[in-house]
Amino acid sequence: MGTNPNQSIFGSYRQDLTASVVVFFVAIPLCLGISLASGAPLISGLIAGVLGGIVTGLLSGSQLSVSGPAAGLASIVLASISDLGTFQAFSAAVVLAGVIQLVLGYAKAGAIGYFFPSSVIKGMLAGIGLILILKQIPHALGDDKDYEGDESFLQPDNQNTFTEILAAVMNLSTGAVIISTACLALLIFWGSDRIKKNAVLSIIPGPLLAVVLGVVLNLFFQNSFPELALSGIHMVDLPALDELSAGFSLPDWTILNDARVFTIAITLALVASLESLLSIEAADKMDPFKRVTPLNRELKAQGVTNMISGFLGGLPVTSVIVRTSANVSSGAQTKLSTIAHGFFIATAVLLFPTALEYIPLSALAAILLQVGYKLSSPSLWKEQFKKGLDQFIPFSVTILVILLTNLLMGIFIGILIAVYFVLKSNFHSAVLVVNHGNNYMIKFTKDVSFLNKSPLLKAVESIPGNSKVLIEGSSIQYYDNDILEILNDFKISALKKNIDVEIKKTKNALHPFFKSETID
Amino acid sequence: MKTHEKLLLENRAWAALQLERDPEFFNRLEHVQTPEFLWIGCSDSRVPANEITNTQPGEIFVHRNIANIVDHTDLNMMSVVQYAVEVLQVKHIIVCGHYGCGGVKAAMGNSSFGLIDNWLRNIKDTYYNNRVELDNLKDASTRADRLTELNVIHGVYNLVKTNIIQRAWKDWNKPVLHGWVYRLSDGILHDLCKVEPGSEIERVYRFD
Repeated sequence: MGTNPNQSIFGSYRQDLTASVVVFFVAIPLCLGISLASGAPLISGLIAGVLGGIVTGLLSGSQLSVSGPAAGLASIVLASISDLGTFQAFSAAVVLAGVIQLVLGYAKAGAIGYFFPSSVIKGMLAGIGLILILKQIPHALGDDKDYEGDESFLQPDNQNTFTEILAAVMNLSTGAVIISTACLALLIFWGSDRIKKNAVLSIIPGPLLAVVLGVVLNLFFQNSFPELALSGIHMVDLPALDELSAGFSLPDWTILNDARVFTIAITLALVASLESLLSIEAADKMDPFKRVTPLNRELKAQGVTNMISGFLGGLPVTSVIVRTSANVSSGAQTKLSTIAHGFFIATAVLLFPTALEYIPLSALAAILLQVGYKLSSPSLWKEQFKKGLDQFIPFSVTILVILLTNLLMGIFIGILIAVYFVLKSNFHSAVLVVNHGNNYMIKFTKDVSFLNKSPLLKAVESIPGNSKVLIEGSSIQYYDNDILEILNDFKISALKKNIDVEIKKTKNALHPFFKSETID
Repeated sequence: MKTHEKLLLENRAWAALQLERDPEFFNRLEHVQTPEFLWIGCSDSRVPANEITNTQPGEIFVHRNIANIVDHTDLNMMSVVQYAVEVLQVKHIIVCGHYGCGGVKAAMGNSSFGLIDNWLRNIKDTYYNNRVELDNLKDASTRADRLTELNVIHGVYNLVKTNIIQRAWKDWNKPVLHGWVYRLSDGILHDLCKVEPGSEIERVYRFD
């Protein structure tokens, strides 16, 4: 992988095009599944998939991120459509949301992306990886009732993530199990060093072979063991074009008289922007070349895509992690991959929709299980654990909350916990107390604000009577007045306990409180 | 509180802060040191080797004496050089002087300060060997600055003349010798000379 990261998008077209085929296979059932979950026409998810690939791909500064309809928006979309009454009215809200995102981009709101703590982003990746594994196990076992791309704990069919797995185990489909196991074994073998070191074989992504293996196995079942063969809901089911186009519609602008459309547009814009920024941060972390995506440009790219998607009756898009991760692990190098995957979706829908129904969902489940494993690999957990509890706790809380509720709630709680640890470490280490026999020193090691009042008061109280105290803070520039007040009060109250307080004054002190009068 | 008691307290605080930043800090340094540099500098309290190079404990092996004199009859300094070169195998030796050095000023004058007069004789000799250049400089402070530089350069070449350095160059192709001078007024180090392993050595000083 000695490729120059600054090359043109055609500089590595072989890797990019093979990776884009994998992303395309994964994207089709996700686009359809998310449409279903959103209560929207199937074609709206496919339109969003095409535009997320082509338009966002062309405009974005990211090389590896893939955009498309997002599971994280599904519940909002579902509620909004029923709120506004028609999908056409909702489409108008999507256009407006796109305009708002474009404005956010010009207002440089992308900068908030830099404030996501890395422990939380990594927790989000691991959480999505775990969800992906848990949600794909039923598909691998041949239970395809729940739609593809579901990420929430409580499913629409009144199951939750774990009961669904239990149900799937009770109703094993032998054919699906054979296909997913064989594909998974192939993927693991293809990821081994023996293949990686082979210059020819390593170019072919494992997931592509897994799809081929799944198709071939199922064709073999049809001919020789019909009782094992999979069909119907167990296959990628892309409806024919005339069936799809029945759901096609354009925005209904009369809804602009209704104030609710603006609330919904703002909600959509904010949530979609947040999810895109999070996914972009995650994509940058996964990038083997460690390229950095400009965040404001990303918001503009997402905004333009959503304006077009709304105009054409598509679902709103965001940058999405599972497709991005599949893209990275299939060896994509540049944005040619995501752009091409958009073209492939369009071509498949327009020219050969029936060709895809040879692909069993259990073969795709094997691919997504591996993607999930990579997102939440044990080495990531170990690495976070080694960094200490102030990293590991926000990381694991993010995962847990994402697993039990949803993505944004997990991020929100994760950030709160991470901020708590930042503040906590600042409170405590800003004030240091040491002693040598009966001599004590209170030393300030960081800027001290009113937030450090309680640790300072505790420090002051911890000093026993009949002792000497030296207060040292020459290297610190900023002292809150509250802090200096506590010190002055201490000088007086110390007399009662027979504590001898001395402020260490030096010529080089940064704050006047600790500066000695210079006598030259 | 007595000033020396304050030093002990400051030390406790320093150790606590080191541990807070890096819990392994003292464990790592407890049994072994692998410094890359030997520093031969002046005892002057205003030129602390670690602070001005922002180096941590374990990074620089230090020898300091008045006016950073490198004299081959000084058993102390020669032992430091031998241990640093042959046992610690440092990659660089830095001889560092500083402008405004009291030792250099004293060596230029005629007052007697006691035993130290004999130690500073080394610098008087350096002055004598370069008296034409130095006497032509316009004022005393320019002369003192130049003598400071010459003392450093002279020290570096005195190291080259030792069998310790010559053998290390042959066996390990190191250390590199550097002559630096520090300016008290702005805190900046300037490099005066650099002698790479294998450099030409005046024939009479050469050991086979």
